[in-house]
Amino acid sequence: MEEPRKDILDFLKKQGFLNEKTRLQDNDSLSETGVIDSITLLQLIDFLEEKYKVQIPVEMITPENFDTLAGISQSVIKLKNG
Amino acid sequence: MAKTSDTCRKCVLDSATPGISINEDTGLCQFCEHFTSLSQEKIKEYGTRMDSLLKSPPENGKYDVIFALSGGVDSSYMLHRIKREYPHLKILAVQFDNGFISDTALENAQKFCALTKSTYMRLSLDQEALQVTFSKAANSFNAYPGAAKYRASDICNTCISIIKQKIIELAIQTKAPFIIFAFSPGQTDAPFVTLSKPILVWMRKLFDQNLKAMGVTDREPYLIDAHLIQPGSYEHEVVIIHPFLIWNYDKTQFKKECIQQGWIDPNLKDQNSSNCLLNAFAIKNHLDKYHIHSYAYDLASLVRQGYMKREDALKKLTIQISDASNEEIKRKLKL
Ligand SMILES: [Zn+2]
Repeated sequence: MEEPRKDILDFLKKQGFLNEKTRLQDNDSLSETGVIDSITLLQLIDFLEEKYKVQIPVEMITPENFDTLAGISQSVIKLKNG
Repeated sequence: MAKTSDTCRKCVLDSATPGISINEDTGLCQFCEHFTSLSQEKIKEYGTRMDSLLKSPPENGKYDVIFALSGGVDSSYMLHRIKREYPHLKILAVQFDNGFISDTALENAQKFCALTKSTYMRLSLDQEALQVTFSKAANSFNAYPGAAKYRASDICNTCISIIKQKIIELAIQTKAPFIIFAFSPGQTDAPFVTLSKPILVWMRKLFDQNLKAMGVTDREPYLIDAHLIQPGSYEHEVVIIHPFLIWNYDKTQFKKECIQQGWIDPNLKDQNSSNCLLNAFAIKNHLDKYHIHSYAYDLASLVRQGYMKREDALKKLTIQISDASNEEIKRKLKL
């Protein structure tokens, strides 16, 4: 399966608050750097559920899983692989 | 003559605002370039979900809904409409007294609670501490990173975050299954938000960090009571609903209907708020600090989605704050 990381980055760019100059590392906190706030996070979850045809359980949406590119990517892969 | 800035030809965002770029070929900002409107089926699906939630709320406690009521047009209209469509709902309407709400807003809120047979609650915190917190927000720089800066001013972000934390706290304490906010489709994109415990812990932590960055030392009064969300605490689910994402958002119509019901226009001379005296000052403070108009993103989004005419939004973006009221707010905030 294609790495979700790229889709997440594309999504964040489309949302408009992540510009080309921002160098985002895989383990940077998305909320603390202001790349996402709670509204963007919910949109991202919608986007990923649609794109990867998965259901993301609310218990999974924690800072440990959903605050970094690496964390979100892995969560999606985990769900997709069942 | 060289062009200094461009305004998006569809919405109202301007390339003079940091972070906004207008594509020279299309004349569109980055948001309009990627915009797709919500399909009718999707809106219908949301409507069905709202019906199923609000028609038969789980019998948890004293109230079915904790309602955030400012006394302005949007929330007054919504309280009235919610009660008309779901008359059985037991509603606790909470008006946050930030020390700057107009007398008319207080009156409007109480009037609409009586009209809808909702329980009215005026939420007050230590007013002196609150003023210090607002002046810290005014003096802060980058306490709210990135996206949040476009959604609201530092002062409004602080105020609305306090309201969110306290309303959620009330919902948990009273075991209410639903929270309703009258956010416009420009202010939020999610019609339903299910609040799991990890999300609440996260929200609390983020706002705590914002307050800390502003230099607020006594932060507990503004945050959800930590005991309520620790492991092993409450078990019932709380869902936030934003009905304006499901109903057609037509502010002119809302105002007309509100006035018919006895709502009084406070005539604050503020284009963007009919209830808070601090708002115009907050906009100016934000604009001075970041060159971002805190309503631009919200209004642009309403225009993009077809809920507002472009020229009306542009009109709202011209700031009108008299020197006298500006000075008065500054004096109150000891700035
Ligand atoms: Zn635009």
